[in-house]
Amino acid sequence: MAIGESIPMLDSVARVTGAVDYMVNLRLPNMLFGKIVRSQSPHAELLKVDATNALHVPGVVAILTGEDLGANAFYGAAIKDQGVVAVDRVRYVGEPIAAIAAESSEAAEQAALLIDIEYEELPSVFEAKEAIQPGAPALHMKFQNNIFKHAKLRHGDMEAAFAEADEIFEDTFTSPVAQQASLEPHVAAAQWDGTRFTIWTAAQAPFTVRKALSEVFDIPPEAIRVIVPPVGGAYGGKGHIRIEPLVAAMARKTNGRPVKFVLSRAEEFVTVTKHAASITLKTGVKRDGTFTARQVTIYWNGGAYADVSPMLVPAGMVRSVGPYRIPAVHVDSYGVYTNLPPAGAYRGAMSSQTTWAYESQMDIIARRMGWDPLEFRMKNLLVSGEHFATGEELQDVHFMECLEAAAKGLDLPRPPLRAERSTRVIEAGRGPKSKRGRGYGVMMKSTLATSKSQARLKLEEDGTVTLYTSTVEMGQGGHTTMAQITSETLGIPLSAIKIIGPDTALTPFDSTTSASRSTSSMGNAVIAACVIMKKRLFDLSAPLLETPINELQTENGFVVANEVSISFADVLRRNDLQTLEESGEYSTSLGIDPETGQGVATPHWHQGAGAAEVEVDTETGRITILRYAAASFAGRVVNPRLAQLQNDGNVIFGLGPALMEEIVYDGGQATNPNLADYAIPSIRDLPEELTSVCIESEKGEMHGIGEMTLPPVAPAIANAIEAAVGVRIKDLPITAEKILRALRERSEQ
Amino acid sequence: MSIKFLEPADFSEAITLLSEHADDAKIIAGGTSLVLMLQQKLIAPGVLISLGHVPGYDFIRRDADGLHIGALTKVRDIEHSEIVQNYSPALAYAFRVVGNVRVRNQATIGGNLSTADYAADPPAMLTALDARVQVHGPEKKREIPLSEFFLGFYTTALEPNEILAEIIIPALPASARAAYHKYTSISAEGRPCVAVGAVADFDVDGKCQDLRVAVGAAVETPRRVNSAEALADGHTLTDELVAAIAEEYSRRLEPLSDVRGSAWYRREMIRVFVKRALEEVRDGDR
Repeated sequence: MAIGESIPMLDSVARVTGAVDYMVNLRLPNMLFGKIVRSQSPHAELLKVDATNALHVPGVVAILTGEDLGANAFYGAAIKDQGVVAVDRVRYVGEPIAAIAAESSEAAEQAALLIDIEYEELPSVFEAKEAIQPGAPALHMKFQNNIFKHAKLRHGDMEAAFAEADEIFEDTFTSPVAQQASLEPHVAAAQWDGTRFTIWTAAQAPFTVRKALSEVFDIPPEAIRVIVPPVGGAYGGKGHIRIEPLVAAMARKTNGRPVKFVLSRAEEFVTVTKHAASITLKTGVKRDGTFTARQVTIYWNGGAYADVSPMLVPAGMVRSVGPYRIPAVHVDSYGVYTNLPPAGAYRGAMSSQTTWAYESQMDIIARRMGWDPLEFRMKNLLVSGEHFATGEELQDVHFMECLEAAAKGLDLPRPPLRAERSTRVIEAGRGPKSKRGRGYGVMMKSTLATSKSQARLKLEEDGTVTLYTSTVEMGQGGHTTMAQITSETLGIPLSAIKIIGPDTALTPFDSTTSASRSTSSMGNAVIAACVIMKKRLFDLSAPLLETPINELQTENGFVVANEVSISFADVLRRNDLQTLEESGEYSTSLGIDPETGQGVATPHWHQGAGAAEVEVDTETGRITILRYAAASFAGRVVNPRLAQLQNDGNVIFGLGPALMEEIVYDGGQATNPNLADYAIPSIRDLPEELTSVCIESEKGEMHGIGEMTLPPVAPAIANAIEAAVGVRIKDLPITAEKILRALRERSEQ
Repeated sequence: MSIKFLEPADFSEAITLLSEHADDAKIIAGGTSLVLMLQQKLIAPGVLISLGHVPGYDFIRRDADGLHIGALTKVRDIEHSEIVQNYSPALAYAFRVVGNVRVRNQATIGGNLSTADYAADPPAMLTALDARVQVHGPEKKREIPLSEFFLGFYTTALEPNEILAEIIIPALPASARAAYHKYTSISAEGRPCVAVGAVADFDVDGKCQDLRVAVGAAVETPRRVNSAEALADGHTLTDELVAAIAEEYSRRLEPLSDVRGSAWYRREMIRVFVKRALEEVRDGDR
């Protein structure tokens, strides 16, 4: 029984010892080194881009500028607004203007300094709410008010519903620009062969990359081979095309020599970001503690190009309502252009921002109206059979169980805390005037409504199995999960399973490795392939075993009947077969109406909860998280240990946007684009005690769990802070300075 | 254009090379600060002179004079040194909280001080301990008190052809006690928002003698406030006196603003952490 076993990740040792062949290690024969020349202006006309002097640098082979680009050289998931390199105009600091391919990275670096660029500065705008004002500089001709997407949800009679409310709460919550900060940067290499090319890239969606590149270069998708080596973390930041068009366009100019680009950490900060968001929630509540209406208005800062935002803005809309029983809901979700780097998905896309808003307001309401925040949630959480604001009926709903499990985590007997054990070191944030409090958060998130996964199994002559899958292994254990599912479904030992992919020339289609969809979607495709393979094996072995098919089973690489058995290898041999291949597919095709947001938003809902106990040092505002307990709904757990690591990892990841992560800009220029000044959680920032659980259900559908325990982190902490010291922080990140300022303002009142 | 990487075999060769290349050269030891600056293009030297193969400057010893630490001693070795621990646990602690273990295994004390990064840990503690540095130039060696060594952001009193060779920390009376408080406002592994090093000696009646408090990270260079230190002379460090000294530090210093805190916040934190450091000096065992 491989499902339910806590085996280590298949490549865990290789990842820890550095033996994994990450893209950064890739060396192709005759390979050139790429370097990107980037805009220093947030918004300007390009008067001149002259590469003459740079071309004379010894070792420089080719230089790419806007002049090289054809009419198709604009891309974007829905709105093709972004040039492969800038043409005529730049719209953010860091936008690629030119690229260099050279024999050495030193030569490329030196040439980069010699590209002569002249700018004519244009007025710029950095905040979404400012960009929509009349008179704000327009970034793109087609969108004069800078709103490139307006997603709407209309459910129920708002006016009547607000009229029924005894109290109406209106609060605005903000999240700043942040970065996915995967350890491995964006990295890609491309090599052309006539009118075809191969691209090696650390990307989450190889087929999305292929399709987009086929449009940019006006060649059939089949003329492009996308190979994805093991990825060193992605978190949504590698979910759509980012550097691939530029890398392939550069490589087209080098006479068939491959060119590789590895972004620096500073370049990572201008390549993709987490959307800054301003979310206003207007919520009507009755004295009996039920909701009447909620109106949500969201401004997403999409940066200078729409990128994947036209899909994320509607997703964020659905994810902004919260897992509560609310009869009338209206949402307006706006994607807005500004002169900042383009934003994309950030682990739990848009849910970090939306959960921060709706779970913070839950406590504001509960406290003002005199309810216990935990009871108030329990009273209003949706249950199976009820309808959500999209109009869809909810099934397999376990929000209450998640919240209960998280809350219970705080009530377990507590081991002595680190700081209490320590005799000498006075930990920062553990001052003499500290106060403690507890807070909670619940999240509800859709996955992709429409997507497809295909898997192919090949039974080899020796009885081992190769699984061809385009699921990307990026440290989450995706390949391990697929191996376990194969092992269990096909009845073959894990050691006899090999996984190949993704490589669009070899592995079948998959929409993307994101939105926590792979365990469910690819997992079901793998099951389908295994079921067909098993049937073939039964057909082939029934005559050999002289047993009816319905009495056959597979076990440990054998087809077995009551008394007799035959190995998979022998089934092939005795049928004079060398290999046997079967494929499986799983897809969903759902969606919501673009005007009303009504329909079915997701094949299943992501559900999670968190509970925090914090200590606030009232002299400094610094908090210590004493304990954090998290829960996610998993349906059926494939690998308990890896699932727990996902839950725990999400909490740790979530501490970043909650407490520290923010790209600080000065005139559109990031002032902290390095990991010394842009802090991400270190091992010493962890809660003193961190626990998590996965909730399973009788229905037993496998759900993804890559994001569920992240979004509740920030509101659970903010709610715990209010419980401890009575101040409410509405703007992320929750820094010590903000808490101290709030404490001072309150004491002055 | 690639950077020329030179690896002198001894200290005098390093100084000769530095004199030859003058403004175009940078010294590299552990590289933890310098490489970041190179990557961010804050500096663009043509020549790097590595001290990686220079022998004889990796040492920790104690004599009647005090503590001597070679410039090429790793932060990690100082943190773990029994000699340093015996001299002052607070000093060892100031090295223990530098960056993270990867950084401490690589960074040297000489590099830490020569970089003069305001958001560094040991400078405030060393300034409070009245440390001085010995620097070697082509013609002569000289000593500079740390209080005169740091001139501003990333600026020291080192001449372009001088290299920091040794740190000398004067002997502490057995009755003296020291404390170091690093306050990180964002990540626990981050650089300090405020750093406070405090040293005081006490007479048999518990009256404070010779209080020295240096505040770093919140200001350009580690600063002492003489008017505040003088308040303690001959007095018991009561809560009221501690608060008054902390208040004086908070009032007198001009804090800076960065991602780790605004000037307002830092002024508040100087008050809090000067107070906490003084309380530890008063109540601690050493």
